[in-house]
Amino acid sequence: MLTILLGILEEGLVYGIMALGVYITYKILDFPDLSVDGTFPLGGAVTAILIVSGVNPVLTLVISFFAGAVAGVITGLIHVKLKVRDLLSGIIMMTALYSINLRIAGRANLSIFSKESIFENFVWDKLIPDFFSPYLVVSLLFFIIVIMKLLLDLYLKTRSGYLLRAVGDNEALVTSLAKDKGTVKILGLAIANALVALAGSIYAQMSGFFEISLGTGTIVIGLASVIIGTNIFKRFTYFKATTAVIIGAILYKACVSFAISLGMEASDLKLITATLFLVILIVSNERKRRVKGNA
Amino acid sequence: MKKLIMSALILTMAAGLLAGCANSKKEGQVTIGIGQFAEHGSLDNCREGFLAGLAEGGYVEGENLKVLFENAQADGGTAAQIADNFMAKKVDLIAAIATPMAQSAYSAAKKKDVPVIFTAVTDPVMAELAKEDKTPNGNITGTSDKLPVEKQLEMIRKVLPEAKTIGIMYSTSEVNSVSAIEEYKAVAPNYGFEIIESGISTAADIPLAADNLLEKVDCLNNLTDNTVVSSLPVILDKAQEKNIPVFGSEVEQVKLGCLATVGLDYFDLGVQTGKMAAQVLRGEKKASEINFEVIEEASFYGNNAVADQLGITLPEELVNSAKEMFDEISE
Amino acid sequence: MLELRNINKYYNPGTINEMCLFRDFNLTILDQEFVSVVGSNGSGKTSMLNIICGSIPTDQGSIIVNQTDITTMSEFKRLRKIGRVYQNPAMGTCPSMTILENMSLADNKGQSFNLRWGTNKKRIERYKESLKSLNLGLEDKLDVTVGALSGGQRQAMALLMATMTPIEFLILDEHTAALDPKTAELIMELTDRIVKEKKLTTIMVTHNLRYAVEYGNRLLMMHQGNVVIDQAGNNKRTLKIEDILDKFNEISIECGN
Repeated sequence: MLTILLGILEEGLVYGIMALGVYITYKILDFPDLSVDGTFPLGGAVTAILIVSGVNPVLTLVISFFAGAVAGVITGLIHVKLKVRDLLSGIIMMTALYSINLRIAGRANLSIFSKESIFENFVWDKLIPDFFSPYLVVSLLFFIIVIMKLLLDLYLKTRSGYLLRAVGDNEALVTSLAKDKGTVKILGLAIANALVALAGSIYAQMSGFFEISLGTGTIVIGLASVIIGTNIFKRFTYFKATTAVIIGAILYKACVSFAISLGMEASDLKLITATLFLVILIVSNERKRRVKGNA
Repeated sequence: MKKLIMSALILTMAAGLLAGCANSKKEGQVTIGIGQFAEHGSLDNCREGFLAGLAEGGYVEGENLKVLFENAQADGGTAAQIADNFMAKKVDLIAAIATPMAQSAYSAAKKKDVPVIFTAVTDPVMAELAKEDKTPNGNITGTSDKLPVEKQLEMIRKVLPEAKTIGIMYSTSEVNSVSAIEEYKAVAPNYGFEIIESGISTAADIPLAADNLLEKVDCLNNLTDNTVVSSLPVILDKAQEKNIPVFGSEVEQVKLGCLATVGLDYFDLGVQTGKMAAQVLRGEKKASEINFEVIEEASFYGNNAVADQLGITLPEELVNSAKEMFDEISE
Repeated sequence: MLELRNINKYYNPGTINEMCLFRDFNLTILDQEFVSVVGSNGSGKTSMLNIICGSIPTDQGSIIVNQTDITTMSEFKRLRKIGRVYQNPAMGTCPSMTILENMSLADNKGQSFNLRWGTNKKRIERYKESLKSLNLGLEDKLDVTVGALSGGQRQAMALLMATMTPIEFLILDEHTAALDPKTAELIMELTDRIVKEKKLTTIMVTHNLRYAVEYGNRLLMMHQGNVVIDQAGNNKRTLKIEDILDKFNEISIECGN
C-alpha cells in the first residue's frame, strides 16, 4: 500500500511540474502546445549528457530549465513571426526536438545509474537516516514542486503575469495596452516549456536514465492533469488553479495505477488514458466563451 | 448527473489507491513480474525460454510460481509504469526483457532491493547495469545477447562469394542497433564487404528507405532492431522483387523469409536466464553476486524455400552445420 | 492633429472581387474635436478607424499625427497614444480577470510590464473612485471577475480603462450598438463626460443618428469611401436629425439597404 502510494506520488509530482507548464499554455495562453512532447525528453537528454560529463546534478536542473525555455521561444517564433497555426507550430517543434534530443544525448538511451543525482548523492548519504530514505524522493519532489508552484503563483500576480493572463483571455486588450501580443505569447511558451523540461530533467534523474521514447504522450498526461484538476476543484475557490493542476496530475497517475492493478494490460494504457480524458471532458463539458483575436 | 459521475470518478480514484492492499499470496509460492519492452519473435522466445529455465530450476508456473506479465509495447513511460506496478504488487523478482525495460525495472527495484534479472540486453555495461568486469551494478544481473557479427559476415561471404555491399537498415532511436552498426562497419572490411547503412526514425520510413537501399546493395542484413524487424514483411517483399537476398539476425526472421542467419537461440538465452533467476529465488546467491553472462554461441539457420526463390544454393558445409533448416516461408 | 493623406485601400486586390474602398481619401481632425461618424454599412467607417489604429494596412497614402508619420508603425505601438472601445463589450476587458486586475492592467498602459506587483495597493482607492463615478456599484465588486458582469457594465469598464492613462485620441467603434437603449444612453453620457473632462480628441462611429447629432462638435457622413457630409462648429450645433436623415435615406436606398 505504502509502496503504491509512494509510486503514485513520485510519478504524480514529477508530472505535476510538467502539468504546471501545460497549464500555462493550455489554460492561460489558450495555446494547445504540442512541443512539450519534445521538451520533456529534452530536459532528460540535456540532464543525462551533462551528468555523464560530470556536471553537478542541481546545475543540470537549471540548464534543462533554460533549454526548455529556448525550445519554447522557438515554438513561439514559429507561431508569431512565421504565422504558423498554434497546433502546427507545436507539432513542428515536437518533431524537430526528437532528432535534436537524439543529437544531444548522442543516443536513444543513456544511463546515469552510477552517477550522482539530486536524489542520490554523498550529501544525502551522510545526512539522511535510513528510516527516512524511502521518503527522500517524494520529499524532494514535494519541495521542488511547491517552490515552482509558489513562484508561478507570484509571477502571475506581477505586471508581466497580468499581461500573460490577458493575452489568453483577450488578445485585443493586450494590443490596446500598447503591448505586442506576440512577445507575450513567446514569453508564456518559454516559461511553460522551461517547466516541462525541468520535469524531464527530474524524471531522468529519478529513473536513472534517459530514453527517447519517454516523451510520447506527455501532452496527453499534461492536458489530462490540467483538466482533471481544474474541473474537480472548480467549485473550491480557495484552491489555486496551480494546486488543482498538481493534484490533477497525482489523481491521473492514481487512475492509471488503479487501471493496471485491476488487471488491465499495460498495452491498453493509452486507451484507458483516452477514455479517462473523454469522460472528464464530457463531465466538465467546458465551452470556452472567449474572444478570439479581433473577432 | 455531473455530480454523480464526478463522485464516481473520485471514488474510483480512491479505490485505486487502496487496490494495492489486496495481495493474495499462497504459502511457499513466489511471485515474479516479467516485463517485456516490445513484442516480437525473439523477445517472445526469450520469455518462453525464461519460464522453461525457471521450471528446470524448480519453479513451475501455476504450482509454486505466480507470473505477472506485462508488455510495454516499446513505450518508455509504460515500461516505468509496469516496473512500479510490479513493485506495488510486491513481486519477489523482476525479469526484464530488453534494455529500456531493464533500466526501468532497476530504477524501481533498487530502493526496495528487489532483485532484477535481465535478458536480451546487448550492452549491460553501457546501460550501467553492470561494471566493466561484468560484476553487477547493484542487485541486478542477467544475460546479454550480443550479435555474433563476425560469424554472420563469414556466413554471408560463404553464401554470396561475389557480393561487395551489404545494406543495413536500423532505427536511430534504438541503442542496440546503433552499437551493432558500429561493429558491423568496423569488421566488414575484414571480409571484403562495405556496409551501407540507412537510419530510420519510424516504421513509416521503412518502405522508402528500403527502395533506396535496395538500389545500392548486393544483399540486406538485419539487426535485432525492434522497428525494422516488426516491418520485416515489407522489406522482404521489396527485396524479392529485386531478387536481393535478405539475411536475418535470428531464427524467427528466417522462418518469415530471410535467407539465412548465424543467430542466437533466444529460447536458449531465456533458459539460461531462467536458471539464474531460479538460483536467486532459491536464495543460493544474490543477483548482486552473479556476473552477467554473454551468449555468443550461435548456430546456422537457413530457409530452403527462400534459397530456391532466389536461385541460390546454400553451401553444403553450412547446411550440414545447420541447427535447423526450414522448407517453407511462414506467413 | 490627425491627418489622413491620400489614402488608397483595396480589398482582395488582384482578384475578381477586387473592391476599392478608399481612393485618395483625405481627412484632418483637429485637436479636441469630437467627431461623430455615420454612414451605411460598407461605407468605410470602421475601415477608417482600423487604418488609423493600424489594424489593417493601407495600400497608399500616409497617416500623420502631430507632424509625425505613423503609416508604418505597428498597431500596438500606435495604441500607446490611442484608446479604443469596441462594439463588443468583451473586447475591452479580460473576462477571467477581476475588476481590480483589469483596472491595474489599464493603469499600467505605457509603463513597462515587469516583475513589479500587478496591482499597486496605493492606487486601489483611486480605482474605486473612478468606478464609483459610473454609478454601477462596481466599486464594491473589485474581486469579481469581469466575465460575470453585464454587457453594459463591461462596456463602462472598457471605456474607463481605455481613457485611464493619458492618451491623445479616443476611438469609439459603435461602442453602444450592442447595448440596450437605456444602457446605451448611460454609456453615451459617460463618454461625453470623460471626453470633456480629459479634453480628448475623439472619433466615434455610430449607427444612432440621434447620438451623432446630439454629441460631439463635428459630424461626418460617409458613403462608399467618401465624406458626403462634414459639419462642424455652429453648423453642427444647429444640425437636426431631419437634416441628415434625408441624405442618409438617399444613400441607403442607393445601396439597397
